[in-house]
Amino acid sequence: MSDVDRPIAGSPAGNIYDLGYRHYEGKRHGRWYSAWALYVDSLRGIWGFGRPMSAKAAPFILAGLYAFAALIQLAFSSAFSQAVRTEGTTAGLFTYGNYFNRLWIFVLLFCVAQAPEVVCRDQRYRVLTLYFTRALGRVDYALVRLASLASALLIVLLVPMIVLFIGDVLMGADMFVAAADELPKALPAIPADLLVASGMAAISLGLSAYSPRRAYAAIGLLAYFLLMEAVPSIIYSVGAEAGWTWSDKLALTTPITGLDAATNWFFGVPLNPSYPVTLGSDAYVVASVLGVLVFATVLVSRYRRISA
Amino acid sequence: MAASLSVIPEIIRITVRQLLGRRRTLLLLLLAALPVLLAFIFQLAVPANADKYANVVFDTVSLSVILPLAAVLFGTGAFGAENDEGTILYLLAKPIPRWVIVAGKTFAAVGMTVAMTVGAVLLAGLVDLFPSGPDGIAATEAQVAAMVVGSVCYVALFIPMSLLTRRALVIGIGYALVWEVTLSSLLPGIANLSIRQYALGVADWFFQIHKEPARLSSTTAVILAGVLVAVALVLANWRLSRFELPGGSD
Amino acid sequence: MTVQTLPAPNDSPLDAPAIELINAARWYGNVVAVNDVSFSLGAGVTGLLGPNGAGKTTLLHMLAGFLAPSAGIVRVLGRSPHGDPSVYRQIGLVPERESVYSFLSGYEYVRFNARLQGMKNADSAVRAAIARVGLEDAADRALGTYSKGMRQRAKVAGALVHDPQVLLLDEPFNGMDPRQRMAMMDLLGEMANAGRTILFSSHILEEVERVATEILVLVAGRLAASGDFRAIRALMTDRPHTITIRSSDDRKLATTLISDPAVFAVELRQNALSVQTSHLSAFRRIIATASKSAGVRLKEVEPADESLESVFDYLVRR
Repeated sequence: MSDVDRPIAGSPAGNIYDLGYRHYEGKRHGRWYSAWALYVDSLRGIWGFGRPMSAKAAPFILAGLYAFAALIQLAFSSAFSQAVRTEGTTAGLFTYGNYFNRLWIFVLLFCVAQAPEVVCRDQRYRVLTLYFTRALGRVDYALVRLASLASALLIVLLVPMIVLFIGDVLMGADMFVAAADELPKALPAIPADLLVASGMAAISLGLSAYSPRRAYAAIGLLAYFLLMEAVPSIIYSVGAEAGWTWSDKLALTTPITGLDAATNWFFGVPLNPSYPVTLGSDAYVVASVLGVLVFATVLVSRYRRISA
Repeated sequence: MAASLSVIPEIIRITVRQLLGRRRTLLLLLLAALPVLLAFIFQLAVPANADKYANVVFDTVSLSVILPLAAVLFGTGAFGAENDEGTILYLLAKPIPRWVIVAGKTFAAVGMTVAMTVGAVLLAGLVDLFPSGPDGIAATEAQVAAMVVGSVCYVALFIPMSLLTRRALVIGIGYALVWEVTLSSLLPGIANLSIRQYALGVADWFFQIHKEPARLSSTTAVILAGVLVAVALVLANWRLSRFELPGGSD
Repeated sequence: MTVQTLPAPNDSPLDAPAIELINAARWYGNVVAVNDVSFSLGAGVTGLLGPNGAGKTTLLHMLAGFLAPSAGIVRVLGRSPHGDPSVYRQIGLVPERESVYSFLSGYEYVRFNARLQGMKNADSAVRAAIARVGLEDAADRALGTYSKGMRQRAKVAGALVHDPQVLLLDEPFNGMDPRQRMAMMDLLGEMANAGRTILFSSHILEEVERVATEILVLVAGRLAASGDFRAIRALMTDRPHTITIRSSDDRKLATTLISDPAVFAVELRQNALSVQTSHLSAFRRIIATASKSAGVRLKEVEPADESLESVFDYLVRR
């Protein structure tokens, strides 16, 4: 109810009228709530919820493609288990350990498609001030965005693991025994995929945040990943031939192969001989964790210094 | 007709100026310098096998990454900038046949892509391949040819795409990556639809870069490439003639 | 609603009006942007008015050949502009979108336009166009350094460098300061006097009033009125005219006026008398005799709502 006749502040020359606006004097949520709200909104946005249907196409299709092989393997598990018993070989099958190694391209495409969505829109439409002037600060904003993409990737990575687990359980004679057997084999996938998700998310966001235009961010990401896969290993071979002793450290800089090698450590599997012999999978774990920290720092410093 | 043709250089000039002088072009330049830089490293560190490494770089870096990226950026940028900002009206409201606009833009985009990719490959070849004899020279010729064919085909593909869809950049890169690199190695039949294979097929005529011959013979590659370019340009022309502005606020 | 007489479609080109719409309509799915609009324009300046979303830009784009009409006929200089690039030799278009090639200098930009129009030795025409819009001093600077008003003028220069018969401008006065606006209006007036057909859309009613000889009012896609705006006002008989009068004795004059059937309301204000009449011409006849018989001296008689704004207001709210 407005009380126009009664000014709330006034002098004979001018008046301010009470139009009925009410101040909020109650309890306010703090930083954690803001962070959680942004996290949930971000995660939903990555999967296209709260956006038109076309925004859901890319993430779901790519996640589906990534999980597709596991689903096929599940569907035909009886036929596969038959083949395993007769030929005694499991080489062709997808397992927890080799899944990412074979199908990493879909995870990469997921990052290239969605990472720009996460960080570029706010820059392009210049709404960052709205975030920075609230309880959530610049650093929090960056870290929450990172957490949301990492969580989305974790979902993408874990779904096939779960499907494989179900498949393996069903292939066994007694479900509970099979489950008990399989669980220790499958569990390492959780920390392994956490590392992979964090690594891919950190790199993707750290680089994408430098461009307000989504398309250029996507292209820059692709260029980075593809070149960093090819070039360090080339230089490593050159170094091996030219007798450089430090060149094996270069192999640690490849993002995707490096993350894949790190997962071997969790599964307790030795590295493929194509990797430099001087490095064990633990070196790759260290390198991956360092990578996550470095790119997270890049991301945070970008948002610290961005003018908004 | 003659009057129309004389307009083409004008369009080329303005498109080149639009594409140049942006941050992305500078970054692309750095990217194109990469094979050259690596070529020097090879020549200095392992001169005996420099040519083999150069070929690996050609395959994994120049052909697979730099070529598609440059083509996507210039090919979608040729119309993209104007489409975005609405300045395409200024080009369309002129007494020029639509195919002239398409031709001018295409030449400009192809020219810049070729300049960048051929430059990279040629310089790298001079450093690494030439010293290894006539084979090296032929290999460089092959690489240059592959870059030219690839540039023409990719740009020709991306130009109508940039007129048809707003997500041309991402789709273009998705094509270059998933289709070319992944699927075409899994499914042999796809070679007929893969620009990478056209490029390699033509390159083969000069020099066999890989241990196995390219999947398409040179003649097939050229014919398919020509078909692709023709279809793409016709499509672009058709789309531009029917160009209608999206419903504005008024 | 007044509709001007339309020539039959088979007129010889010499008689054909420069711009002609016959029952033109344009829809996007369920949304009708332009609804059964007909008018024809010849030499002179015509202002296209309407609230936002009325369809002005759609109409201009149809005339510019960027949109085909969903129904009806659109003709510019006797031909349909859609799908016929050669018609652009005679059309100059100044679109609303602001961005132009910001790396070109003003001179280069106009010359680019001239060359694309097929003009061979364009230099003198380019210089003339630049002079006409008053950009000689800035012609060598990049468009990106121009102010908004200067960019507008550069666009206009680019649109008239080839001396087109028809000029279409979408909100041309945006971003111009009053002096530039007047210069632009003078320019448009000059071109109209030279026989050009000029159609421009605008929100700024004062400018339209000043420079347009005719107006077209578009409301929700339909043509609400066309012609000279004072004539339109006179036609709005269901709306009373308001006239403000200052006299030596307002109250006495009021009592005299209220007794006349042409007047239906009278309001005494502080310094003036506000009279409402539904018959303007009748009122004009009686005001002199009424004041004489009341013995009151008239100081000022002014129609209060003859402006385009009130006309527009009325049409939009109808």
